[in-house]
Amino acid sequence: MASLGTFLLLAAFVVCSYAAGVSITGARRRSRRLIESGIGAFYLVTALMTVASAVIVNAFLTDDFTIRYVAHYSDSVQPLFYKITSYWGGLDGSIMFWVFLLSVFGSTAVYVNRERHRELIPYVVAVISIVQMFFLFLMVVHNNPFATFITNAPADGNGLNPALQSYWMVIHPPSLYTGFVGMTIPFAFGMAALITGHLDDAWLRAVRRWTMVAWLFLTFGLMLGMIWAYEELGWGGYWAWDPVENAALLPWFTATAFLHSVMVQERRSMLRVWNVTLVIVTFFLTIFGTFMTRSGVVSSVHAFGEDSKLAWMFTVFMVAIIIVSFGFVIYRLPLLRARNTLDSWASREAAFLVNNWILLFCAFFVLFATMFPTLSEAVTGERITVGPPFFNKWMLPIGLTLLFLTGIGPLLAWRKSSVRNLAQSFLWPVAACIVTLVTVASFGIRLWVSGICFALCAFVAGTVIQEFVRGANVRRGVTGTDIVTALIGLVGRNKRRYGGYIVHLGVVLIFLGFAGEGFNREEQVGLKPGQEVTVGRYTLRHDALKVAEDDQKQMVTAYISVFEGGKQIDTLYPSKWFYRKHEGQPTTETAIRRRPSEDLYVVLAKPEIESQTAFLEIHVNPLVNWVWFGFGVIAIGTGIALLPERAFSFALARLPADAATTTAALLLAVLLSATTLAAQSGSGAEKVQVANIKPLERQMQGEILCMCGGCKSPLNDCPMLYCHMREPEKAILHDLVEEGRTHDQIVASFIQRYGGQDVLGAPLDQGFNRLAWLFPYLVGAGSAISVGFVAVRLARRNQSSADAADAREADAALEQRLDDELRDLD
Amino acid sequence: MTHRNIKIVATVAVLVTAFVGLMYFTLREGTEYYKHVDEVMATRQQWEGKRLQLHGFVVPGSIYVKPSTLEYQFKVQNKGHVVDASYKGVVPDTFKDDSEVVLKGQLTPMGFHTDSNGIMAKCPSKYEAAKKVG
Repeated sequence: MASLGTFLLLAAFVVCSYAAGVSITGARRRSRRLIESGIGAFYLVTALMTVASAVIVNAFLTDDFTIRYVAHYSDSVQPLFYKITSYWGGLDGSIMFWVFLLSVFGSTAVYVNRERHRELIPYVVAVISIVQMFFLFLMVVHNNPFATFITNAPADGNGLNPALQSYWMVIHPPSLYTGFVGMTIPFAFGMAALITGHLDDAWLRAVRRWTMVAWLFLTFGLMLGMIWAYEELGWGGYWAWDPVENAALLPWFTATAFLHSVMVQERRSMLRVWNVTLVIVTFFLTIFGTFMTRSGVVSSVHAFGEDSKLAWMFTVFMVAIIIVSFGFVIYRLPLLRARNTLDSWASREAAFLVNNWILLFCAFFVLFATMFPTLSEAVTGERITVGPPFFNKWMLPIGLTLLFLTGIGPLLAWRKSSVRNLAQSFLWPVAACIVTLVTVASFGIRLWVSGICFALCAFVAGTVIQEFVRGANVRRGVTGTDIVTALIGLVGRNKRRYGGYIVHLGVVLIFLGFAGEGFNREEQVGLKPGQEVTVGRYTLRHDALKVAEDDQKQMVTAYISVFEGGKQIDTLYPSKWFYRKHEGQPTTETAIRRRPSEDLYVVLAKPEIESQTAFLEIHVNPLVNWVWFGFGVIAIGTGIALLPERAFSFALARLPADAATTTAALLLAVLLSATTLAAQSGSGAEKVQVANIKPLERQMQGEILCMCGGCKSPLNDCPMLYCHMREPEKAILHDLVEEGRTHDQIVASFIQRYGGQDVLGAPLDQGFNRLAWLFPYLVGAGSAISVGFVAVRLARRNQSSADAADAREADAALEQRLDDELRDLD
Repeated sequence: MTHRNIKIVATVAVLVTAFVGLMYFTLREGTEYYKHVDEVMATRQQWEGKRLQLHGFVVPGSIYVKPSTLEYQFKVQNKGHVVDASYKGVVPDTFKDDSEVVLKGQLTPMGFHTDSNGIMAKCPSKYEAAKKVG
């Protein structure tokens, strides 16, 4: 079987090169037959890759351990499901899976568009074939998944890494790959347009939908990765700016930018070079991301290991992409001239432009920071790394700005917004924003970042709801139906626009979840049976540690009863699983009690069987579920935007007038009745643990240094086992907190006690020191203001010179009519 | 036209300066040196007190957990150089004898003090790392 697989890959490579060659020749000679033959060969590659995939899946199913890849990633006791999905568990297989997906996607795209965009198709086939050739070449010469053991094959395989045996991990890579691979299609069409010079908006129409599909899968892949990290890795979070995660995020930024700027090109014929560039950059980043994670250039916890040969091949390919594609862009620059200029900065296209810059900046920044260790090593010889705090410091303000723009964009009119319509459309959203801000402030939330985020969320949600209500009201007036039917009709009439708004709503929910992260609480304790600990609103009692086995693994489970307000509300079962093939590497099975308001997240960190002690890590994560929920809303919004025109209007025509309202009301009723909670009374337990320290005390344990002279670390992690200073200092701190002293008073008292700021882990936030803290923000604000100023000046100058030149066109009535027409186009 | 160009150049200059300035100031706080154990131990004095990411392998049999706590003491080695390390908290699943680790923290005269959540462990059997030699 293995040799059949290798043969199939070789055959696919040969057919690919034939398809590429014959398509280009056919297009140049305008030979219909050659072009058709190229397309046929292109379909054949898909067939070959499908058969090759079947061969490797079959090898997994029949436990063919003579194939190295199978032996490495599977074993005889692996459940069927994981046997199949081991296909993409490792490097070689994932490349093959990539080519398989690309061939399927490519064939579909070519099949759908072969009549509509006849002039582009041969080059689309050629470009995709060349990309496929690269990956097939990699497999044939370097990473053949069908490679066999030359001598004695093992009797059984190693088994898939237990950390990957999770259903999230099963669907996460395919989703991400689909997103990555899907970005090749817009690139191929863009390149075909550049090569042929058919640079009108036809190619954009062909790829718009593809980009949206690919974007949806990419988004979904990112989300699945986050859920996987949250559930499996057991550190209570979902995003840590790991290079592999970043690699997937980079093309997401540029694809999002493209989805926005493409609208500007459709409406106003502007940003044409920009759009082509974004498509190329997005494709490049998918390849670059693969390169980064597969070649070991950047070390990461879950990178695939070092491989300099692979790195070289990728480098050559990437350089070729850059040179060829940007070469064509420069060559075609005269055809890519914008047909319009920016009329005003208070217009929707300007908002899109700024949104694009910020998204592109995000991509650039994440790329820079991810590559920083490698770059610094190349420049200075020292490998210097940057951690998540660095990313967060930058991405937090940028993310909030993006959120703000999400709200502003839809409120601005195309071309130019008048003061009157600005006032009209901003009134309610701004009111919502201010009310939220005041409410949040009156509750005394310490974290201003989260507060601002809440307010901005309200602002954006306000704009979206306002758009829906206005539109529905107008439609109700016209058609005379009830409001819900009018709403559905409205969405149906303009799916892309309202689908987009729903996506924005999803983004708001995700940001809500992000803002909640500021209020996370965490506790580590060791509990003997019967002991309990209180975290936030919850009291957790350790009941027992139990051991169970199945044929793959041994499972140690802690039984934890959860009480709230004296009543038992739940039982959680965090556990550790020890797979026999991977004894030293247990997997952590977290126990999560999910609620819309917050998650109670319990990890069994270390079970001590002899003493029945369970060491637990307990997190309370407010609002996390809104992140997942937001992704769901995004999927719905994208789905609506993607719905085929005819299906939707057909369904609408058939819909009885009040059906929609009734259905919605029914659904709501079912949802409400489903939310019942069983409450049981708790029993009196031995209350030993008083590990529940106040947040201020915990915070300050991290700020004040242990003065024992050796460790130079904060109180909460002085490394010395029997430190003479740590406990007394902690006791003093505890007393001060209990007395109700404020943060500043306690700091002052410690400075007095130890005669100087040595005792502080970080410089005091006052006077000159405060300047040091503020400096980055000052620089940021200053530059933003000056950039804005320069931009306004530039725009004004532009406009006045344009006005002088086209005085005859500055006819107010015409402008008005144009505006109206553009609005209707929406 | 030249006037406009000057303004564009000025805008770009302001942007670049702002960016570089911000980068510089934020980088100073967030950076850590990435070093292998042998590199650090060869010139130990130089590295004490600095923020480090220390790359090495856990010495087999050296992991000691203080009973009834989550306080770990272990040794990390690379190319013959060994350093004592301490850690308090939950260790990743892949942390075990011989595993390849990257520790975040500070070198003190008493050994390497690892931050909480500062252990990143790679497992030799994980993914493709079999080819890899530290």
